[in-house]
Amino acid sequence: MKWYPNKKPPSTRLHIAAVVAALAGPAVAGGLPDMGGSTTPWDVDVYYENHTAHRGKDATGKNVGLAKFRNTMQVEADKRLADGWGFHGVLRGTWDGVYRMNKGEFGNDAGGPITLGNASGAGGSTTVSHGAGVVNNGSGPPGNAFGFDINANPNDGMRVLGDRWHSIPSGDVAFGVPVRPCDEDKRGCRDFGGYGDLSLSELEMPEFNDRLDFIREAYIKKNISLENGNNLFVKLGKQQVVWGRTDLFRVLDVINPVDYSRNNIYDELQDIRIPMWIAQAEYRMGPSESMQDRNLQIVWNFDKFRPNNLGQCGSPNAILDAGCFFRGMANLWDNGGTVANFANGNTATDFGPHQIGIRDVDLPDWSLSNTQLGIKFEGVTQEGVSFSLNALTYRSQLPSLRGLVTGPTNPFTGAPKTAAETNLIAFDVHYPRVNMIGGSMDFEADSIGAAVRLEGAFTSGEEFANTARERLYSENKVFRGVIGIDRPTFIPWINPRRTTLISAQLFWQHIFDHEYYKKGSRVAPSGAVNALGPVGMPDWEDNFIGTVLIKAFLMNDRLSPELIIARDFRSRTHAIAPKVEWSVTDNLKLVVGANFKGGSNARNRFDDCRSCNPYAPFTGTAADVGYSAGLASYEPLGRFRAGPIGVSMFEDDIFFMMRYKF
Amino acid sequence: MIKQLSLALMTAGLASAAFAATEADVEASFNPYKNGMPSVAGLAAGTVINKANVEQFKDALAVGIYKMIKEGYYEVKVGATTQFEMNKAYVEATKKNLNTAKLGPNNGDITGFVAGRPFPEEPDLKDPRAGEKLAWNYKYGVNWGDNAAIYPFFWKYRNMETGELERTIMMNMHFLNFKHRVQDAPVPEIGPNPSDLFRAIYVKVLEPQDLKNTQLLIQRYDDDQKLDDAYLYLGFQRRVRRLATGQTTDAFLGSDLMIEDFEGYNGRVSDMKWTYKGTKNVLLPMWNHNDLKLTDEFKDRDGYKYVSFGGKGECFFDGTWQLRKAYVLEATPVNANHPVAKRVFYMDAQLGNLNGAVEVYDRKGELWKVWTVGKSHPDHHLPLNKGTGIGIDDAFSMVDVQSKHCTTGQFKGQVDPKLNPADMFQVQFMRGGD
Repeated sequence: MKWYPNKKPPSTRLHIAAVVAALAGPAVAGGLPDMGGSTTPWDVDVYYENHTAHRGKDATGKNVGLAKFRNTMQVEADKRLADGWGFHGVLRGTWDGVYRMNKGEFGNDAGGPITLGNASGAGGSTTVSHGAGVVNNGSGPPGNAFGFDINANPNDGMRVLGDRWHSIPSGDVAFGVPVRPCDEDKRGCRDFGGYGDLSLSELEMPEFNDRLDFIREAYIKKNISLENGNNLFVKLGKQQVVWGRTDLFRVLDVINPVDYSRNNIYDELQDIRIPMWIAQAEYRMGPSESMQDRNLQIVWNFDKFRPNNLGQCGSPNAILDAGCFFRGMANLWDNGGTVANFANGNTATDFGPHQIGIRDVDLPDWSLSNTQLGIKFEGVTQEGVSFSLNALTYRSQLPSLRGLVTGPTNPFTGAPKTAAETNLIAFDVHYPRVNMIGGSMDFEADSIGAAVRLEGAFTSGEEFANTARERLYSENKVFRGVIGIDRPTFIPWINPRRTTLISAQLFWQHIFDHEYYKKGSRVAPSGAVNALGPVGMPDWEDNFIGTVLIKAFLMNDRLSPELIIARDFRSRTHAIAPKVEWSVTDNLKLVVGANFKGGSNARNRFDDCRSCNPYAPFTGTAADVGYSAGLASYEPLGRFRAGPIGVSMFEDDIFFMMRYKF
Repeated sequence: MIKQLSLALMTAGLASAAFAATEADVEASFNPYKNGMPSVAGLAAGTVINKANVEQFKDALAVGIYKMIKEGYYEVKVGATTQFEMNKAYVEATKKNLNTAKLGPNNGDITGFVAGRPFPEEPDLKDPRAGEKLAWNYKYGVNWGDNAAIYPFFWKYRNMETGELERTIMMNMHFLNFKHRVQDAPVPEIGPNPSDLFRAIYVKVLEPQDLKNTQLLIQRYDDDQKLDDAYLYLGFQRRVRRLATGQTTDAFLGSDLMIEDFEGYNGRVSDMKWTYKGTKNVLLPMWNHNDLKLTDEFKDRDGYKYVSFGGKGECFFDGTWQLRKAYVLEATPVNANHPVAKRVFYMDAQLGNLNGAVEVYDRKGELWKVWTVGKSHPDHHLPLNKGTGIGIDDAFSMVDVQSKHCTTGQFKGQVDPKLNPADMFQVQFMRGGD
């Protein structure tokens, strides 16, 4: 994997030097540790884990089969160093055999030739092969630039965008997506920040890359006693910094990006947070006359930016199927391609290169201004209520697609797109800066025998798809909040001597200034309305997701069955994840489980911008450029309504996991 | 009904007000053997009580221990009764603050307590609140002193039928009194203490791998009517979770102990209805650590050796038992949904600890667990414990007699203030680790 080829990442030595300089007095006064000078021995644990998963039928009706054969070796090492410093390191190496053992689904033999919708029947058929669009260079207006080189973008090794998670209705927009590893098929390969251009060996051994991800963690720490009786705790190195009090949802816990390619949302966050080079310092003030505990934490993520890993198309875990959308779009930009039911909303169209798609990914380079800074005050009140106040300025870990102003070619004329021609489905990917303030608290509610957790965050700077805007995105402020209740409950038929944990959470997301026009409510200058459907932002203005965890403990807690149910109320989809953990010995743990999804994605369609009218007069009247009529499909924006659960509707997995400590 | 209750409370209040303990009571409380050691016919140092002769010594045994011997699970080796001279500062504090502590109108109310043993007088069966006073003596007892650590602490989970060792937990457990301190600076209180915390316990698990770095913090308020605050840090979540009250009566880390069982009883006075059932001489596990058969199984770097285990399923410590003056104290949970119907404690009169012999009954009223913690004289343990006047918890056995399962504990108790800095007992300390 190549990381930001135009610039080398700063060396570790530079990182440490910068941190030492930043922490100035106390750290220097304490002296940096001598790794070899301690008298205490290394404390080392070595683990092996196998995680094997089988997946049922996807939306095409085809049995997916083996979805994971992941073998992980992990070494955790601790050492007390001189002068009160301590070192903690975690090394991890993974080999996932799924790419070779099920290569017809995820490896070099994945995909094949595809056909795409042509609902009008123009040309004699309601479907066409990729490369055989009815609207093409031969059929377009004089001087047009439709059509592409089928040799550069052959009809092989492809799947139809979205066929993993939804059916392909005959009138929907769609296009082909190359799905083989990027050393086998380079089409559409882009580095989106750790995924998108990975070869087979990089997919099966993801930690061994230029960012040295096999070093999961490597940091030094020290608690420095100050003369005023307070303490300064410092922790420097590659690490995870965890904020917040919520399970499963990341409201405040956004300092480290997350690798969803490992197991979607189903692994423990500690195993999928992407550790970053971070300096943190905590000024621990302890109690005061009015508070039981007070701490001020500063977190400086000085590592080079990296976003969430959403999973490369063609791998088993591509959350939101985003990796497929990106790769398909990048391929369209590079090579052109056939798009189903595009012209007139019903005729397969062969676009040429540089007309639609994803052009570039703007990954922030390392610079001081691109580093990320957080501050947290954490305290406990006199009455025992724990709380935190948090602020963070960071880069969005999710990509934003900003419509191009210039650069694309007008396929109707072959001329460059002008700035007046808006709402074109051609993008660059950006990771905008986001500022967040928030807080969390927990307390005991004795009347219901439960602990209550609250967490909330307000962000500015996040960007969302928006078909009512010229560049097809808008910047919106967002509030996210979670309330969680943990109640240990005696359920005699499960265990009469020990409580069963019932934990429920409700997540709420509100997008401020949400722009959404119901069908027929947006009036274009000509007086036309969006007669075909809603226009604007596909994300829900208010979305709610509820989770319930029921976890029982049997055989002295060595056998623990659990059930997690998650319901996305707006997408109308749910996930049910039963699991049984068995600690056979102190060193051997076995887990069997499954996750099943249900509900319906029928409502999860949205304006796909076929009717956005970017190129008047060919696509509509000049007066109404950029005014979409609201013609909708599952792709590409239905994923934002379906959410991670809805998009994984056809990823029902059963799994077995074995973890052994040597 | 209300009238009756008022009368009872008034009587209790009058009884409390009318009685004034004397210095002689204090002397007797801390030295119950001034006039000689207790004795039981036929029982002497070196006697071994087993299934064959247990009936002969039934009256000198706690009910639970009697059952263990009768079932053939365990043999009790008797040692000589020895003086466990109490911490001098604690005794002085008791004298200095004599009669300042008064019970309030409700169970769990106390006023005027400063430090030391709040109610050193001999309990009286006629006193309806005698049990409650003993509970206060325990709560404010010397226990682990102002601060101490079990560093480390090994727990083993065993199938008692087969002896199969299911789990071994290695942890560190730390104790700190925020208030009513008598010896280690600062005295009498660590300040500022805006929440008026009395005591805290901090636990960090070191092994095995799936529990590694699990941490527990329990903060107890001086106001006994306030619920404890309890927090758990789960290593795999890297997050502190507040525990709901119900979780303190769950099996801690899957063991046969609840958090509420720690040290014999780890809850509020107000959580239980306390009944003093009488005084008797019973055998309690108390010994000189250095005189025992010890094991080197944990290969301690300092050469420290731990108490070894034997008996049925290796569920019982190889320690000696001595005849002690004990107060029989019954605790019935106030909460009807509590998984325990009652506990019976045999409170050592000299030390004031509850954990020498405990019987735990389930909600059906049937014996559920037999819980014993053996103590070593501090002068015959680690050198740093010498002269502390604190009975050093040295080994425990918690036997679930219904499921034939046990958890055993092997201690390296260290009365060392340096191991227990105050900031260790704040929530933030748990977050500062890995």
